[in-house]
Amino acid sequence: MKVTVKHWHAVAQWRWDTGSDADNTHPTNNEEEEGDVCGICRVPFEGCCPSCRMPGDDCPLIWGECTHIFHMHCLLKWIGTAASKQQCPMDRRPWVTAERRV
Amino acid sequence: MDARLRRVNKEIADCKNDKTSNIQIDLVDESPFHLKGSFPGPEGTPYEGGRFEVDIVIPESYPFQPVKMKFITKVYHPNISSASGAICLDILKDAWSPVLTLKSTLISLQSLLCSPEPNDPQDAEVAKHYTTSKASFEETARYWTQVYAGGPGQRKGKNPSKGSVHDDIAIAGLERVHVERFENLGFDRNKVIDVLRRLNYRGSNVAQITDDRVVEELLK
Repeated sequence: MKVTVKHWHAVAQWRWDTGSDADNTHPTNNEEEEGDVCGICRVPFEGCCPSCRMPGDDCPLIWGECTHIFHMHCLLKWIGTAASKQQCPMDRRPWVTAERRV
Repeated sequence: MDARLRRVNKEIADCKNDKTSNIQIDLVDESPFHLKGSFPGPEGTPYEGGRFEVDIVIPESYPFQPVKMKFITKVYHPNISSASGAICLDILKDAWSPVLTLKSTLISLQSLLCSPEPNDPQDAEVAKHYTTSKASFEETARYWTQVYAGGPGQRKGKNPSKGSVHDDIAIAGLERVHVERFENLGFDRNKVIDVLRRLNYRGSNVAQITDDRVVEELLK
């Protein structure tokens, strides 16, 4: 039998390299799995922050030296409030942006 | 969709899916920004066996501003107003963080019931009761749990007096003999309860407050 390919669709998938899943596999379907969502807006890192419409480079992540990760826009919004005292929302240490990995 | 709405909806759903924490969040009306949370009183505390309801209001700029919570159920605790249910807890004020959730905040309230902080009181009278006599404080807290939070147990000798649904003396955390002594002088019972409660007429304090002082207050 001879098969002629008439159309094909390329399907690609991307993830931010957060360094948390070493093997880059899908997160477990455990509902409590919170490692892959932004702690501020609760949207997956691969989604975008609530003020953006498209995920990707326009809505990047930000890494702290404390190793915590957020959507950059979410974190900057928090750091911009007086209530934040410029601390990481997770551990209350002074927020210091780390050099981006990758 | 509005970021706040999306996050709150997600939090409500997460809480529904979590069967282990025994924390419940319900809508009060159609608005997802006015909710009612509830949790069981922690074991090994005077609040054990009760279920405590909390009024929750999500502010406009949530999660960048703390959620507003106060107890609906009356609670006898140094950091909770016995009158209004207002709560003194740092994370509801200046220690708020946007990574806190409705569920984690309710769990914090639950643990506040385990560890009263009388040095930073919301209810000064209750805090004084706590520091004067912890045993007497716990007895009163247990009675409140029973009366207001559906807690278990009817203790002998503390049954409701005739005509009233519950025992006003136990509610105020006072001793019946003390109240009756001043009542027998001809003062109204409610007035006596009010004065003795304000004077913190409990435990070792009783010896330090003269009868004259009490009568003086009663005559005011």
